[in-house]
Amino acid sequence: MTLAAQRWPAFAEPIAGRKRPGARTVYRMELAKMRRLIRVRVIAVLAIIGPFLAVAALHLQSATPGDTAFGQWVHVSGFAIPMVVLGFAAQWIAPGLAAVVAGDIFSAEDHFGTWKTVLTRSCSRGQLFTGKFLAALTFGLALGLLLTVTDLLAGLLAGTQPVVGLGGQLVPAGHATLLVVLSYLSDLPPLLGFTALAVLLSVVSRSSVVGIGGVVAITFLLQVVTLLSLPAWAQLALLSTPFQAWHGFWAQPAFYGEFSWGLVTCAGWFAACAAGSWLVFRRRTIGVAP
Amino acid sequence: MRRSLAAVLGAAAVLAPILSGCGSTGITAAPLQSSISSTFANLYVLQQADQGNPRPSLRSLHSHTGCLKGTPAMPQGGSGNWLCYITYYPSGPAYPVIAKYKVDVQTDGCYAADGDGPASVNGSPTITGPHYQQVINPLALIDGCFDFT
Repeated sequence: MTLAAQRWPAFAEPIAGRKRPGARTVYRMELAKMRRLIRVRVIAVLAIIGPFLAVAALHLQSATPGDTAFGQWVHVSGFAIPMVVLGFAAQWIAPGLAAVVAGDIFSAEDHFGTWKTVLTRSCSRGQLFTGKFLAALTFGLALGLLLTVTDLLAGLLAGTQPVVGLGGQLVPAGHATLLVVLSYLSDLPPLLGFTALAVLLSVVSRSSVVGIGGVVAITFLLQVVTLLSLPAWAQLALLSTPFQAWHGFWAQPAFYGEFSWGLVTCAGWFAACAAGSWLVFRRRTIGVAP
Repeated sequence: MRRSLAAVLGAAAVLAPILSGCGSTGITAAPLQSSISSTFANLYVLQQADQGNPRPSLRSLHSHTGCLKGTPAMPQGGSGNWLCYITYYPSGPAYPVIAKYKVDVQTDGCYAADGDGPASVNGSPTITGPHYQQVINPLALIDGCFDFT
């Protein structure tokens, strides 16, 4: 039996005014899933209250974290506190936090065996990849911006006295606020680079353990490599170096060479990881025992 | 996958020491000396202000620095422990003072300089302000950075 052209059942008709789902639909779906993840909520809560707890902890004792830049000034100026936090957290913790989402966003579908389900929906592999990738980047970006705001507020709460910069100059409150914000923003490119790296590991390995743990391992390895006396060009090519580029903002006169090279480095790592992820994902066989 | 990750880590561990042979680290005496001279001068002015003394002008200090890594015969470059002698003139051109610092330079061009004499300048971690309050001696530990690119 065949149906006349005008007699298709209503559910088979495209609903008037509604487009086929695209990358945007995937993106919004992923964000909705992300908001319900316990670990994402825990990270968000920690990012909001963590800086204030750090300020409170500093107030309760008189010792200073002396072996880092700005460490000796944490009791003198509130602007020193976000910079000590940034110097430590950006290098050791932030990549792992970004990977908690990015290192899992593809491999979770492997874990739950849901690729066949999502790929039979009416969007292409490219749209699915784009949506998921953008969702992972959104998390990294949101985390970085949230920490910028909360760390700055915690610092302002602790005191707005002028702070001694890395050229020995006294930086007044207004300029110090600007420098704190710029320093935090300058750590976003490497954070997005690590996000792309986590996606690559997650896509290639199909395992969230490698996607998240691999990034943590690489973060630690890069910190060890940084200690070696590498030539300047090799040092600049490491994805961990741009995390420190903000030091130059606080010098007198300020310098931006490390920051500019960092942008190139981050763009290179980002492009390589994104392209690698897509090439592997595009050619992946799904639904067959590996 | 674990194996390939281990291979990457292994390759990095082998490559890194080989790479360190080709090209300058960008960490040399000249930028370190110029950075620490001006940073010291700024902090000396701050120290005098903290103590309630008249504020000297940066210009009049004429601070200049010589830094050495190990012995003069050793290659003068790279991160690690440097020794810097900062000469400045707080009371006129006829009376130079030399402040000594042990400087730990990191691979990213940032350094921590630990005061090593004279004790009255950089020996004590705190100094006494005009109202007998104790404040941090800005010259005891100097943090600074220079561009290594």
